[in-house]
Formats: sequence, C-alpha cells, structure tokens
Amino acid sequence: MTNEFGGIVVHAAARSFGSVQAVRHIDFEAPPGEVTALIGPNGSGKTTLLLILASLLAVDSGSVRVGGIDPVADPQGVRRLVGWMPDSLGRWDSLSALEVLTTTGALYGMRPEERTARAHELLETVSLTEYTRQPARVLSRGQQQRLSLARALIHNPQVLLLDEPASGLDPGSRVDLRTLLRTLAAAGKTVVVSSHVLSELDEIADRAVFISRGESVRSQTLDEAGNQVRRYNIQAEPMSALAAELSGHGMRFEERGDSRRLEYQVMLDSTQQAAWLLRTLVLADVAVTAFAPAGGALEETYMSLDTDRR
Amino acid sequence: MSVKMQQPPQLADERTLSSRAAVGTVFGLEMRQRLRGRAWYVMLAVWFVVIGAVFLLATATMGTITGIGAVLFDLVVGFVLFFGLLVAPGLSANAVNGDRAAGTLAILQVTLLTPGQLLAGKWLASWVGSLAFLLLSAPFIFWALALGGVPASEAFVSLGMLALELGLVCAIGVGVSSIANRPLFSIVATYMLVALLALGTLITFGLSTALVLEEAEVTTSYYNHTEPMPAVGPDGELPAVDPSKCVTETIRQPVPHTERITWLLAANPFVVVADAVPYARSGSGDFAYVAGGTRPPGVMESISQQVRTLQAGPDLEVTCEESLGEPRDVGRGSPIWPLGLVLQSLLAGGLLLLGYRRLRTPAGRLAQGTRIA
Ligand SMILES: Nc1ncnc2c1ncn2[C@@H]1O[C@H](COP(=O)(O)OP(=O)(O)OP(=O)(O)O)[C@@H](O)[C@H]1O
Ligand SMILES: [Mg+2]
Repeated sequence: MTNEFGGIVVHAAARSFGSVQAVRHIDFEAPPGEVTALIGPNGSGKTTLLLILASLLAVDSGSVRVGGIDPVADPQGVRRLVGWMPDSLGRWDSLSALEVLTTTGALYGMRPEERTARAHELLETVSLTEYTRQPARVLSRGQQQRLSLARALIHNPQVLLLDEPASGLDPGSRVDLRTLLRTLAAAGKTVVVSSHVLSELDEIADRAVFISRGESVRSQTLDEAGNQVRRYNIQAEPMSALAAELSGHGMRFEERGDSRRLEYQVMLDSTQQAAWLLRTLVLADVAVTAFAPAGGALEETYMSLDTDRR
Repeated sequence: MSVKMQQPPQLADERTLSSRAAVGTVFGLEMRQRLRGRAWYVMLAVWFVVIGAVFLLATATMGTITGIGAVLFDLVVGFVLFFGLLVAPGLSANAVNGDRAAGTLAILQVTLLTPGQLLAGKWLASWVGSLAFLLLSAPFIFWALALGGVPASEAFVSLGMLALELGLVCAIGVGVSSIANRPLFSIVATYMLVALLALGTLITFGLSTALVLEEAEVTTSYYNHTEPMPAVGPDGELPAVDPSKCVTETIRQPVPHTERITWLLAANPFVVVADAVPYARSGSGDFAYVAGGTRPPGVMESISQQVRTLQAGPDLEVTCEESLGEPRDVGRGSPIWPLGLVLQSLLAGGLLLLGYRRLRTPAGRLAQGTRIA
C-alpha cells in the first residue's frame, strides 16, 4: 500500500491563518492506484489540505509526505510529481486553450514538441478540440473546468489533487470524468478528489476521508461504507400492513417527513439483514412498492458523523 | 471526453526548468496578454499625441532661437521622463497581485517556476512594455537632433538613462505589486513612491537646508561705481566695468552647507538623467558654446548645473564677476547620478526582496485576507 515511494501520507497536520484554525489535526492517507475522496462540509479545510499537499502552503506542525517527499524541504520535487486543479477558475483571458496548456507545460520543463503533442492529446481527452485556438475567455464554466483538469494533467503527474472537479460539469462530462479518474488510478496514479456530490464519489472513490472542522473524523474504504448500518426507505400498499408487520418483528421505524409520499425509514445493520427483511415482508403478503437504501454509502457515513457547517 | 492516456517520452523526474526558459515563458505570457489587449495600444496612441503636441508647441514658440535643437531635445527628454514615470507604474504595479486577483498566480506557483524567475519575467515584460513608449518618442528626439546643436553622444546617453529609469520604476512597481494585496492599492502606492522620488526629494532637500546652516566668514566682492552706469554704451556694447572699483568685504553670516544634503536630490529621476548626460559645455556660463554660436541651457542641463553647484557647497568667496550675475565656476564637479542609481536600486531591490519573501511557497505566514486559491 502506501510507502515511501508513492502515495500521500499526512500525519497530524495543522495549519492556521491568524486566529482561524483551518486544519487542526488531519491524518490522511492516499495510496497509489486508488481514488481517495475528501469529504467535509463547507469550510472544513479540504482546500487548505490540498494546498498543503500541492506544496503551496506550509503546515504549522505535523508531517506530510507526497510520493515520499516532504513538500517543505523539497517543493520542486513535489511539484514534479503533483498535478493540482484548483477550485477557483483562474484563467489567462487572451490565451487560447492550446496556449494555456503549452505554457503550463513549459513551466514544468517540458520540451516544445513534447508539450504541444501532450496538449493536443489532452484537449481531445477533455473534448475541447473545437476550442484549441479559441481564447480561454469564451469557454463556458464547465469547459473551463475541463481545461483546468487538462492543465493539471499536462506533465503526466504521479499524484493528482482535484478540488471539486465535477462542479459545473454536465452529466455526460461527469461520466467522462469518472472514467478518466478510474483510468488514471488503474495506471497506478494517486488520485485525491474533494467533492460534495457524494453519490458521485460512491462510484469513483475507493476510499474516503471525512473532515469536519479541520479534523479528520473518519477514514473508510468504500467496501466498509457499503457494509455499515444504513437507513432504508420502504413503501407499501397499504402502509398500515407494513407498519403492523414491522412492529410484529420488533423493528423501530419512523415516518419520513421530507418526501412527497408517505415512507417508513428503518435502520438495518447489513445487506444480509436488508435481504432478510424484504423476504419476510413479501412472504407476509405486504405489497412492497419500494425498498431502497436512503442514500449512498458515503452519504450514510456523512450523515452519521453529524458534521456542522461553518 | 475520450480517455486516452499515453506515457510521454520524457520521464517526469528528469524534467528541469532552466532559469532562461522560466523567465522567457513568464515574459512571453505577459507580452502575449499585453499585445492582445487594447489598453496598451490606446496608451501608446495617447502618449504619441501628447509628446507630439508638446514638441510642436515648443517648436512653434521657440522656433527662432539659435541652437533650438538642443533646447528642444532637452525638453523632449524631460517630458519623456515625466510621462514615463506616469506610465511605468501603470504597466508594472499590478503585475503580481493582478494575477492573484485573477486566480492565475497559484497556477504559476504550483509549477517548477521559482519566485525569483516569476519576478524577473514580470519585471522584464513591464520594462519592455514601457520601452515601447520610449521608442515611440524617438522620432521627436531625433527630430530635435536633426535641428542641430546636440552631439549624438548626448542623445544616446539620454536615451539610455531614460530606459534605465523606466526599468527602475518598473522594478519598484513589480515589487510593490507582490507585496500589496490589491492592484488598485499597489498602483497608487507606486505612484506615491515615484512622487516621493521626483517631488519628495526636492521638498526634503528644501526643508533640510535649515538643518545645515552654519556661521561662516563670507567674502563678498562687488563693484562700487559712484556714478550711475549707462545701460548700453555708445557703440551698443555693454559698458566696460572698471576693475579698480571692485571692493571686497568679509562678514560672518549663516550659510547652508548644501554639499552635505545634495545626495537627497540624487535619488530624483530627473537629476539622475540630467546629470548623466555629458553636455557639450565650455566651462561655466549661462550660455554654452556649441558649434555655430551660443545657446541657452536646456531644462535638463540647468538641473545638472544647479545640482553640481549645490554639491559644491556654499560660495564663501564671491568674486566681482559673480556679483554681476555670472555663475560661479564649479567645473563639472563630480557626477552625482551613480549615487542616484544606487539609491533607487536599493529601493527597488528592497521592495523586490520583500515581494520575493511573499511569493515563496510553501507559504508560511500569509498576509491578512489573502488566499492562495
Ligand atoms: N488564507 C486564509 N486566511 C484566513 N482564513 C482562511 C484562509 N484560507 C482558509 N481559511 C479558513 O479556513 C477554513 C477552511 O477553508 P477551506 O477553503 O479549506 O474550506 P473547504 O473545506 O475547502 O470548504 P468548501 O467546501 O467551501 O470549499 C475556512 O473557515 C476558511 O475561512
Ligand atoms: Mg474548498
């Protein structure tokens, strides 16, 4: 898994800005060949952590290793390895999409033919070939987001840090992004993604680190997340039969108020228990019309953590 | 997005960014943005019109004076410097924080680019941008040259010094822009610094003269003519003075030791440019002798003369000739412009150093209210 030569290991990192403690205590690991999700409410310190990993911010205390390198001791070494996509859309207005990529490539020390070839290749990857010669200012928000992703990939980095890459992307591009990230992970790259779209991360990520108020509160793999206690929503015709059957088995349920139709919500320990309950209900002749997890696996963890927004 | 990932031929850890390539890339990036925008061209056009208007107006009003070329030349140099001091901060003082505001600074910082290379590239780009203004005023400078009276050496030294001054002001602007957060603030601050150099030095000098007043024996001589002298002699010549009528008296009076504070003036861009030019003067006098007759000194030349007089200190022995208005012969004295360049470079260098510290990553302390991204 994670060792001296690949991936990211952060131990007890802390960073404050004046009186604001953006990062209090974060333990974080992202092994190569996997996509690691960074999840947390607004202002929890995700962007700050990514800036630390990208060697732009120094930690006040704690240790950080990116590909085995300490970003404070050898920032250049880290930068050679890391591709960073910021959440803010900075752009050089008058440069064409191609020039944006070749300029960045030049600053990573790539040779002219090499960076031009790579830029064309990436423009194709993010479906912006039409805009090769267009000034970057005419691009739409989602297109700029894609250009920003291509820019992060220009030097074929071993480690990818993506800060909310999916925001502003249409459904098609999200699927493409997912495929791209899985391909990169399969090629042995370390991929870190921060995002608020948990259902999306369910499908992309191998593991997730939850951050709240600058602290890493939970770290789990998606397999673990899938096997934990989850809420299920159940509907039946009529609901009274369902209520009677659930009470008969001594199961606690509550009425969901935030849905258009009447629904009961139950807590189930595992997928086995869910299968058992469904079978029991059906065999008891309850006309079940809907039986599904209340949210994605990560959403479940997120809600159970009871994190606060700042 | 079709997913196609190829291993590029060059291995990532072999890549290095040479300083030349880095500075060149930043320079290219800046220049491309400037050349594709409209603002710069508008400024160039306005500049051309203004310098042209000043030049034509001066030619029209002084067209008959002998040695007009030299006077015009001095005037153009003075104006180009004046407008250059106005333009250079505009081109340089938002170089770094403008990028920060646009969100592109972090994108540069995360590459192999070092803060020094970034500053060098930005400075070079703003300098070259402001040199275009100098280039645009060259026609007028050479026109004045063509009218005669100015040796080519004087013209080239002037142009060189103007270029150098623009470079220094650009360095100050780039330095301030990497220290201050907001582009508007850094532009104003740079104008203030330039005003401090151009006007503040004069005011400080003026106020400090009171501090260097010292009692000294001053020998003053003057002609003591008993009968009133005719304004003009019968043959149209100035009446001859009688050397025997020259009387001398010595009094104690406070005199300002300006030689101790003239260095304050050295930091003034006008003084630096004026003082560096080797004027084709013959000794002292209101009128310098040039090929074909005498000419009045130009603006820049008189600045240089005055500074060197101040540098020489108080005149403790006023001769009879001087009492008639003939300036004292201080020769060319020692040049003060190298000191000026050193002072200005220290200011610019100090600002750039502070800016460099601000741009270093991984960033330790961040200025209040700045976000890297
Ligand atoms: N440069 C800074 N100066 C002062 N406070 C800062 C700075 N950068 C971040 N903060 C504070 O640190 C906290 C964490 O910010 P950060 O940007 O890391 O949050 P985030 O998890 O990325 O949030 P979001 O989901 O909204 O993107 C916030 O409370 C923010 O106000
Ligand atoms: Mg963020």
